[in-house]
Parts: sequence; C-alpha cells; structure tokens
Amino acid sequence: MDRRRFLRTLISSTAGLALGAAALRSAPAFANDPAQFAEGVHAHPWLLGWRSVTSETLGPATVDLQGRLPTGLVGTLYRNGPAWSERNGLRYDHWFDGDGMVHGWHFNGDGTLTHRARMVATPKFTREQKAGRFLYPAAGTSVPNAQAVRNNDDANVANTSVIGINGRLFALCESGSAFEVHPDTLDTLGPVTWRPDLAALPFSAHPLVDHDGSLWNFGSISLLGGAGLLVWHIGRDGQLRSANMIPTPERGYLHAFAMTDQHLVFVLAPFDFNAAGGSFFERMQFAPQRAARIAVVAKDAPDKAQWFEAPFAAIYHFGDAYQRGDGIVLRAVRRDDMDEARSPMKEAMAGDGAHASNGRTSLVELHLDMRRGKAHWQDTGISTIEFPLFDPRTAGNRGARLYAPTVDGPATAPYFNAVAAFDVDRGRRQVWRYGTDILAEEHVFVPRPGSRDADDGWLVGTLLDPVNARSGIAVLDARHVQDGPVVQAWLPYAVPLGFHGTFIGRG
Amino acid sequence: MIRTILVCATLAGLPLAASATAAELAVNVHDIRAQTGTLRVALVNTTAAWDGKAAPVQAQQAGPQGDSAHFTFKDLPAGDYAVLLTHDENDNGKLDTNLVGMPVEGYGFSNNPQVMRKPTFDEARFSVPASGTAIDISLR
Repeated sequence: MDRRRFLRTLISSTAGLALGAAALRSAPAFANDPAQFAEGVHAHPWLLGWRSVTSETLGPATVDLQGRLPTGLVGTLYRNGPAWSERNGLRYDHWFDGDGMVHGWHFNGDGTLTHRARMVATPKFTREQKAGRFLYPAAGTSVPNAQAVRNNDDANVANTSVIGINGRLFALCESGSAFEVHPDTLDTLGPVTWRPDLAALPFSAHPLVDHDGSLWNFGSISLLGGAGLLVWHIGRDGQLRSANMIPTPERGYLHAFAMTDQHLVFVLAPFDFNAAGGSFFERMQFAPQRAARIAVVAKDAPDKAQWFEAPFAAIYHFGDAYQRGDGIVLRAVRRDDMDEARSPMKEAMAGDGAHASNGRTSLVELHLDMRRGKAHWQDTGISTIEFPLFDPRTAGNRGARLYAPTVDGPATAPYFNAVAAFDVDRGRRQVWRYGTDILAEEHVFVPRPGSRDADDGWLVGTLLDPVNARSGIAVLDARHVQDGPVVQAWLPYAVPLGFHGTFIGRG
Repeated sequence: MIRTILVCATLAGLPLAASATAAELAVNVHDIRAQTGTLRVALVNTTAAWDGKAAPVQAQQAGPQGDSAHFTFKDLPAGDYAVLLTHDENDNGKLDTNLVGMPVEGYGFSNNPQVMRKPTFDEARFSVPASGTAIDISLR
C-alpha cells in the first residue's frame, strides 16, 4: 500500500473522533459510597430495588404459581434493567449507569414459573469484570480515571429494554448498538451491525412494532455530541429496511417516541451542556425556556420530517398516538421537575431513603394540527404514573386504554405501589393496589392468543416485596385490573428494579 | 514473535536523519482485540506531520499475533516524537468509521491521551533521548 495514502488515511480518519466528546467525556469526581448505600438498605429495605447484583447470573429458580394460570398464557416475560452498579468501592450515582441484566420469567405452562437472569456481556462489562473496577465512562456518573473508548459501544451498558424480532432477542440501550442475547440461555451473542456504515450508532431502547410486524426505531445523535435523528426501519425478518438521518434544528433529548398508522412522532426536549466537566447527565441541562421541537415523519417517506413547536416538556415515555381528522393526538408522561428528570431516584441510588422522591409526573396529550402546523399540550388530570403501555391493536382513530404503574394509598417507598388502566377520554380509572410495602414495575400488555379485540388480554408485571426480600410477578386480566392478579408468583430472592420488558409467547 | 514488515520501497524517501546519537524507540502495543488485518504505526516529529500535512519520520506495519505487539524504530535523532497507531482489521486500507465518523476499528496514540477525539500533537508528544526509550500504547 502506498505510504502516503496509508498515513493520510491513518491521520484523517481519526478526525471524526471529535463527535464522541459529548457522551463519553468523564472527569474525576466522587461517586456514591457502597458502604453508605448498604446502611441505607438496612434503614429502608425498599432500597433493595437499587442494590447492585454481585454475580453474573441469577437462578434458575422454579416456583409454584399462586392462582389459576389463564389458558393460553405460555411464554416468557423478558425484562432488562441496570443491575451491576458497584465495583471496587465505587457506586454509580445515576440509575441509568448500571450494566444491564436480562431476566427471563418463563411461564412453563404446568403451574410453575422459572426465573433466570444473566448480565449482558458487553465489551464494557466483560473488561470491567476482568479488571475488578469500572474502567469506562458512564452516562450519569464521573468515573475516575476512565479509559478512552474506541466509540460509544465501548461504554454501552445494554441495560434499558429487551425486544424480540423474528425469534431473536435483543438487549437495548439508547446510546449504542443492540446486543443480541440467546432467548433461552440469555448468553450474549454480540452487538448487531445492521449495515457496516451503521455500526455502533444509537438504536434506542424504545422501538415500536408496526401492524406488519416491522419495527421502527430512532437513534439520537445528540447523545454523541452531534445533531440528527437516525430513523431505523427493521423488517419482521430482522433485516434492515432503511436508515435515514434527519437533520434536527437544535440539540434535543428524546428517549422514546410514538406512532400512528401513518406517522412517527419524535418530541425533542432542548438541552445545553454546562461548562463543568463530568458525565453526559451531569453536564446536560434541560432548556425549559426553549420550545420542544417535534418531528412528524411519514412512514412512507422516512427521510424527512415536518417540524412543529410546542412548549418545552421533559419526557421519557410515550403512550399511544392516533390520527384525529387532520391531526395527531399522542399521550406522554411529562416529568415536572427538571433536576429529577435528569437523574430519577438519585437519592435512592445514594442510599438516602429518607430523602428519595419519585418526582412528579403528569399524563399529557400533544395535539398536532397537521394542516396549520400547530401543536399544543393538553393536561389529562392524570398524574403520578410512568412506563405507560397499551394494546397496539387499538383502532388507529381513537385513544388507547393506557396501563401504567401508579400510586394508590399509602406507600412505604417513594415509588409505585399499584397498577392502573386509564380510559383517558372518559376520565375513568381501574386500579389494583398491591400494598403499602410493594413496589410495582412496568406491566406489559399480552394479547389473548386468538383474540382480535383491543384490550382482550393480560397485564404481566413485576414486583418487589422488600419486607420479605423477594421479587415477584403478577398477571391481571387487562379488562378487570381492579380485580387484582389472577395468578402471582414470588421468587426466593430479590432482584434490582428494572425498566422495560416484552412478552414472547410460546407455541 | 511479531512479524515486522518494513516496506523498504515505500520508505525510501523518508528523511532518515543521520545522527551521531542514533536512538532506538521501542513501541509496545497492548489490547489488540482482533487477530485479523494489519497494525500500522506512524512516528512523527512535527505538528504538520501529525496533522497529515508532512511525511512521518518512519512508519511500520505488521499483522497482529496475540493481544500485544512490539515495534522498534531505529536510527532516530534524539528529540520529541509522537506515535499514531491504527488496526485495519479487515485490511481494506483504512480505519473504518461509521456514518457519523466514529471509528469502528482499533487505534491508539502515544501517551494514551484520555480524550474522545484525535489528540493534539502536544498531547501525544514524548521525548526520545539519545539513549533511546520504550513506550506503551493501548489500542482502543
């Protein structure tokens, strides 16, 4: 090879590195103290939900189901969440930092349930496990003496959600590649490169499945310090259909999105980086004085967007969206406290149970007038919910029934202790309260096999019982949430709270 | 043993400064992740060369054998230098990057600067005394 070309290549090809500065810079600072957290758990047992795991696998544990398993409910609830959050005297101080652990809650179909979990063997986890200390930058904690990374995938923790495509399973995290995981053993098969030039690019933790079984997703280039919204479309066969970079008018944070039959809707919350050093979430500051930038992308032309503006809103999770006349209505959970939004359950991560807060959330509707190019928010009067889900079979011209953890009555922990179904338009709510001491997580909607009616199915959700130091799972009839679980099971151990799951039926 | 391939023909034009105190530089490379392709090492002594606007002092390449490698640069005048290293894992003649310019193959720099960008010449600069020296570079 020509020497000059070799050197020109060598030297010029590293120019793109500048882009990585935003998400991956890390300055020395003091993170949380594991000993202080351990004391906190003693005083506030509900902090078990934020305790680090110390082994690469959990289970398998097979337990009897209490109640009657509904006919047709056979399969696995897969879940993912930050699980390994302490090493060598350092405890992460941001909930999003822990390395991901994928859980499989298998309904065996014989009255028993088997749980097993395994850490996702990302390059980061594997190298840190070998080194016995955190080596790489984290999203929300300044890791002292963090090593420089090749690209964002060297710091990928694959800790946020899990999704199935064509029999394959993927652990997802918004700042990098999807990691494929074996659906039975949960062994990590490796990062997915959908196309060579798309290697390591963000593939968010909240893809949405279309009626044809294909999958839409986005990657936020803002996380890497650049600008742009990468719109992914993956076929039901697991092959890339398209990937388009849409320019964005300014830097904005988004964690998830919503879609109608025809459109994808992305709501970007503007933010700035403060001058101080540190991790991404330490330096990012929401800019509530600036308008939210909303991109509406037609599914048949995913390379361009129509842009709208509406007052600022910090949002992690969206519910459904539907077409109404010339407009689109979508539902979202707005975080009302900017600092809390930047680091949810921060005090819990520090072991400070006395001061921990779940933050304030409001369910809001965004109304987009496609013809006039206008957008506005509308309050629903519903508050204190997160992780909303719904039956995607709901007709595309009306609002879906939303299923979400919420708070009902007294709660020991500053967290959800109940699950509810919301009929937003009629202002009706069905709620099941698990109890004062129970922490309730996301409840996934599972359609009843063979049924076609919206909301004919079950909610499958996970629980933490800190009093008995055990995690559990509950199944409710989605149309009768107020009747409580039809079947429930408890493990002989507690696992850290996670974020998102998916149910994959069997047979 | 690492097979060092000095491509003499392509190095013919290099200004191999003759010096009474010709020093030797040993470059120890660590954390090689893939066992395919070619490791390429460039030794420069000016900002212009660091920025690709001038020829390097010397350059070497070798195929990886194991997770570490060793290169020796000889006949160097004492002075300040910097090293750039890439691992062209698929031997397509370049350090592959993705759509937004992030490298997806291995690379490293002298001093192992903890920055997520190409370091400056000053950040990568180190001194080679007349008695010679050895440096360690971790590939990332």
